[in-house]
Amino acid sequence: MLQSGRGSIPAKAGIGLRFPHHQAVAETRPAVAWLEAHTENYMGGGSSLRYLDTIRRDYPLSLHGVGLSLGSAEELDAAHVARVRRVVERFEPGLVSEHLSWSVVGGTYLADLLPLPMTEEALAAVCTHVDEVQAALNRRLLIENPSTYLRFRHSTIPEWEFLSRVAERTGCGILCDVNNIYVSACNHGWDAMAYLDALPAAAVGEIHLAGHAVRTLDDGRTLRIDDHGSRVAPAVWALYAEAVARFGPVPTLIEWDTDVPALEVLLDEAARAETFLRQVEHEHACADVA
Amino acid sequence: MSTPAPTLLELQRAVHRSLCAHDDATAAACIVNDGIDPAARLGIYRNTFASALTNALRLSYPAVKRLVGVECFEGVAHLFIEAEPPRSANLDDYGAGFAEFLTRFEAVAVLAYLPDVARLEWTVNRALHAPDVASLDLGRLYTLKEEEQARVCFTPHPSAGLLRLDHPADAIWRAVLARDDAALAAIDPATGPVRLLVHRAEEGIEVSRLDEAAWCFTEALFAGRPLHFVLEDALCADPQLLLAEHLAAERLVAFEFADG
Repeated sequence: MLQSGRGSIPAKAGIGLRFPHHQAVAETRPAVAWLEAHTENYMGGGSSLRYLDTIRRDYPLSLHGVGLSLGSAEELDAAHVARVRRVVERFEPGLVSEHLSWSVVGGTYLADLLPLPMTEEALAAVCTHVDEVQAALNRRLLIENPSTYLRFRHSTIPEWEFLSRVAERTGCGILCDVNNIYVSACNHGWDAMAYLDALPAAAVGEIHLAGHAVRTLDDGRTLRIDDHGSRVAPAVWALYAEAVARFGPVPTLIEWDTDVPALEVLLDEAARAETFLRQVEHEHACADVA
Repeated sequence: MSTPAPTLLELQRAVHRSLCAHDDATAAACIVNDGIDPAARLGIYRNTFASALTNALRLSYPAVKRLVGVECFEGVAHLFIEAEPPRSANLDDYGAGFAEFLTRFEAVAVLAYLPDVARLEWTVNRALHAPDVASLDLGRLYTLKEEEQARVCFTPHPSAGLLRLDHPADAIWRAVLARDDAALAAIDPATGPVRLLVHRAEEGIEVSRLDEAAWCFTEALFAGRPLHFVLEDALCADPQLLLAEHLAAERLVAFEFADG
């Protein structure tokens, strides 16, 4: 039996744990409901793992992977699955997540979350790999929608339907990255609200929020780039309000990876997300009474 | 438009060629062209790919970066990334071949000691990320019979590494990371070779110099040669003391018995 998607992570706002904040978090124990770490950053030994051991004693922890390459046409890297399993066994996280993307071909790791063609063949590959990883870890995965900067001509399935079908076929949950929906919707002319509407609410086990950049190309057109390098954009907060209205209070993470700021900035963003969660919790409670 | 849709594997191979070899033709033909050049869209991914790996190299080779400057480092890093992209999603393991790559790179040939600094930084990086292992049961070791002790073959801690370098890379590395220009200026790169022991201690990474005899003794120990051979062959003054030091510093983490 696979463990439930929400595990021990509370329906509150958490922050992404990055190396520059290890010591501050371990020593000052800031008031934040939970933390999320990148699985790939804890595959060796030494002080990073000891910090995470310490931090894990004080906070619910989620592990977010970037390297499984669930969308590869070829087989998963068994050694990497084994590394992920070791990290999961050591830290016993409340949630484990990965991406709807690929990064490995011919044994080369391309170090990015690359876009998939939205085809039946890719859907089958992703589902097979999600099944394999869920079996290897003996637990449910959450799969995150990506930010994308291109679409393939031969795609036949809308991304929101593709993701929903992965969840339906494999029993995995969905990590709804609201910033990614906004970025991809802007880049491809999609309707972000329709994307949210299409996701199965019961499968959404976590939400991600982050900042993005706007890049102007040579011809003056713009693309939004998911760089996790700034505060959450106002339009993304607005979309987040729509997301929690649909999905209810869901564990929500503030991510920041480029030019990581002082811990206080992340805590401030988390506090803002918390106000949305408390609001929707209040509304749900009122609706229950009525 | 009339070309058949690629399989997932064909498409992924095409994107690989685009990112690593700047060969966009096949991948670009598969991308919706709605006014933004498909090659520019692929370029966004290539940038992320290159910057993520450049950053991984920057973290592993901070002294090399300072010695050659940011611009030169990024240039070399990009060429290295395209020539030797990672074979694993565990980026702690990425960059093993960088020192050898530097020896073939003419623009930095004037810094003859640079590959040695890179070799040291890679060994330090390996030590930083090596797995944690249980300590050796010293009680068990010391209660072995003499005949058993003679046949002991040790396993070193996974963080332990030995280097024999032509240049005083340890002194250069320390001065560069400390931004101590006076110390750096005082180093004669022609003094060498140096023999180094790298290992992760409780307090952090330790890099120490050994003399030739101590280095050879330690190398034989770390290679798992039976203890009596290692002691017999030892040329250092007090091999038992050095063995005790390695044990006390937890540089040896397990043992088994040689046959016979």
